[in-house]
Amino acid sequence: MKFFFTKKQYISFASVAVMLIVWKILATYFDSDFIVPQPEDTFLTVIKLFGDGGFILVAGTTILRGVIGFIVSGVLGMGIGILAGISPGFNAFINPMLVSIRSTPVIALILLALIWFSPDVVPVFIAMLTMFPFICTNVVDGIRSVDNGLIEMARFYRVGTSRIISEVYIPAIMPFIISGASSAMGIGWRAIIIGEVLSQPQYGIGTSMQSAQTFLNVEAVIAWTLIAVLISYGFEKIIRWSERKIVMWKV
Amino acid sequence: MDLQIKNISKNYNGNSLYRDFNIKFSEGIITCILGPSGCGKTTLLNIIGKVICPDSGSLTGFDEKLISYIFQEPRLLPWKTVKGNIEFVLSRNLSAGERKAQAERLIRLVELEGFANYYPSQLSGGMRQRVSIARAFACPSDIILMDEPLSGLDIALKQNMIRWFSQIWKSDRRTVIFVTHDVDEALFLGNEIVVLSQAPARIVAHENINEPAGNRDIEEPHLKKLKQILLNALGQFD
Repeated sequence: MKFFFTKKQYISFASVAVMLIVWKILATYFDSDFIVPQPEDTFLTVIKLFGDGGFILVAGTTILRGVIGFIVSGVLGMGIGILAGISPGFNAFINPMLVSIRSTPVIALILLALIWFSPDVVPVFIAMLTMFPFICTNVVDGIRSVDNGLIEMARFYRVGTSRIISEVYIPAIMPFIISGASSAMGIGWRAIIIGEVLSQPQYGIGTSMQSAQTFLNVEAVIAWTLIAVLISYGFEKIIRWSERKIVMWKV
Repeated sequence: MDLQIKNISKNYNGNSLYRDFNIKFSEGIITCILGPSGCGKTTLLNIIGKVICPDSGSLTGFDEKLISYIFQEPRLLPWKTVKGNIEFVLSRNLSAGERKAQAERLIRLVELEGFANYYPSQLSGGMRQRVSIARAFACPSDIILMDEPLSGLDIALKQNMIRWFSQIWKSDRRTVIFVTHDVDEALFLGNEIVVLSQAPARIVAHENINEPAGNRDIEEPHLKKLKQILLNALGQFD
């Protein structure tokens, strides 16, 4: 297999290089592993973490929380979004709730969740609350954008309601769901890790970061951060890939 | 039994579009309804298609009929291929194989064989409209309603569409009710041409053309004369 890079990709490489250079300069300037560790040491730590027996358990638990939160908020968001998209009354009812959830600081939600739930549930709950409004709002926008002419055509041809939903509405809102999922995922990972840092479940990237911080192990804090970034990036790639598969008809 | 609309009245946004309006359609021919914009032609099609109800009056002969449509825009589902769009309107009582065979037959008729798996966004405007013609004929309907399907197309494309439509229609003579405000389109396609007045609509002219649609030359003297008659009928109410 051959790899070709476009001009845009070269520019992106340059951007990553600049970040690494700035990091290296700062590390050299402070000359202390307790403040800014050397990038190469940090990458070694990342590789060591990958090799560690507990890594799969720690990262896997965080990923599992993200996926559960995503699925629950996806199902809820689609169900409520479809209803709100079809019924303006229901939309008026649900909208203030969505706005409240979205404008509540994540930290406030976490503090309350810490009181209400067990440490393992807190991050999932937070992830759900932060992702759900994005998916819901996008589904509402999607339903509203459905071309009435197509619905009318289907009705003229006596196509049944269930097929109108599955073959007209759902495909029409798919691009909106995907873009909602992408923003939801982006914000969801951050929320999960904050949740883990504060609730300290047994396993989780946030838990590991918090204990590394306690021991002033800055290298490990940054290493876990890089891993979190990689996970988020990986899921973004999966979403973009499924977008290309699902929304093939768009040119 | 003839298809009849008896004494219908319909108000729309306070305007009286139809008041005790009567019209009869013969089966197996193309009836063109020619009328100025805003006279309620689309409303009439919607009444025939039972999408809206008249305020009063009745329809006879339409009850058992299956109806298919060709709209002004092709109205294809962008996420379905040409074949998928045609299969979409076919009854679920047919097996998947039968639906596929029917779709393929119509795709051949409109000569889009190579494009069965293309999405609408990959087709030209004329090809998309051909798919919508194929869809209307694929549906085992008794009546095809057409709502200005040619407006917005350039002359060459329009001629092309008329040729496609009449070619398929010759082998499958369904009852067609075709609504337009363009006299030339009516002359090209109509077996019967009914001219409506401004709302509330009345029939102000009713003409017949005997030559088959598809190979008419509207520059021929008798069609030119007919065109004048139709224009006059329309013109009185412009």
